[in-house]
Amino acid sequence: MVHLSEETLSELLDGAPGAGAQEHLAACSVCQGELEGLRRLRAELRELPELEPPAELWSRVEARLPGAPKARRSRFGWPTLVLMQAAAMAAIFVIGLGVGRMSQPGEEGAVESPVALTAQPAAMTVADAMEVVQRLGTEYDAALANLQRLAQREGQPMPSLTEQRLASLDMLVEASRTALSVEPADPVLNSYLFAALAERDAVLLELGESQGEGSEVLWR
Amino acid sequence: MVELTEANLVRRARSGELEAMRELYELHASRVYTVVRRLAGDDDLAADLAQDAWANAFQKIRDFRGDAAFGTWVHRIAVNTALTRLRQSARRRDLEQSFDGKSTLGNPDRWPVTAAAERVTVQRALDMLPEGYRSVLWLHDVEGYTHEEIGTRLGIAVGTSKSQLSKARARLKALVVGAKAEVVDHGTS
Repeated sequence: MVHLSEETLSELLDGAPGAGAQEHLAACSVCQGELEGLRRLRAELRELPELEPPAELWSRVEARLPGAPKARRSRFGWPTLVLMQAAAMAAIFVIGLGVGRMSQPGEEGAVESPVALTAQPAAMTVADAMEVVQRLGTEYDAALANLQRLAQREGQPMPSLTEQRLASLDMLVEASRTALSVEPADPVLNSYLFAALAERDAVLLELGESQGEGSEVLWR
Repeated sequence: MVELTEANLVRRARSGELEAMRELYELHASRVYTVVRRLAGDDDLAADLAQDAWANAFQKIRDFRGDAAFGTWVHRIAVNTALTRLRQSARRRDLEQSFDGKSTLGNPDRWPVTAAAERVTVQRALDMLPEGYRSVLWLHDVEGYTHEEIGTRLGIAVGTSKSQLSKARARLKALVVGAKAEVVDHGTS
């Protein structure tokens, strides 16, 4: 038996069959099965789920809209951003020390030579800079924890390391203060300043203890 | 309430408010992405098409008169954007070849037969169809376009659209069911 062609089955599916197709279909179970299969597939096509667009799609669309900012606007001027970047660099410097200490625990020069003084690309906005600083703050904590473990294992950290940490924290404090002079009510900046101050105080205490009584400690 | 909110968003978007545009985008992003993804058959191309569609829509939003819902309007723009782009692309050149049966893509006789063990989902099978088949199939069976409308949008004859549709359906079925075309003797009725 010659069965219905795919064109004729397609026409039947759309309700517009050619002459004789209905008669053949009524008598042919094979073609009935074919047609039913096509009907099911069409139903499945129509029931395919909606898809989620890529997460970054809106930013791509936005960049093409008239009036869209070329980059996110900053609440701060560039001098502030530069300082925030300097703070980030300082944190990286300290982390580099920690990493160096961890990676070469037995070597004399490991503590003195900063490792991974990573150059960060210029932050486009203060939000970017703050994100970097906050992330680095977390990493800084982790690096310090490593240093403390090493200190317990190998003795007290060298004063030069502590002084470098102090210098780095000074930079962070100054950067935070400068940023706060522009946005004094910014809660993130305030909390960051307090954290940096507390950290600096702790380092100063540590420095004082390592130098013993009578040593001169400069409280800044 | 939804209509009122959307109308308000459209009004704000027409005055250039980016936040309103974003809210409209979020309301309809999935629908727009889905239709261009189905037509494109490819994630990267779909993202490009969706980006074009939304950029076109917001650039032309002053032309939106509110005769239809915003979602319907932007959906139509998405389809038009996708079809225009596909027609202009190199992929589209393959499609043109498929219409005259000279290319491998357009000639089902040259396709490898799918074994039962290689059955695929409808979604995957749709992606595997040649672009011309996929476009006609989706536009007709899901979007509800007539062959005349498809012919106009794709620049093909109505008869070609009908032929492509029947071949697309048969191919999709072969991919999904794993049935061999040879199982049924496709003679004339």
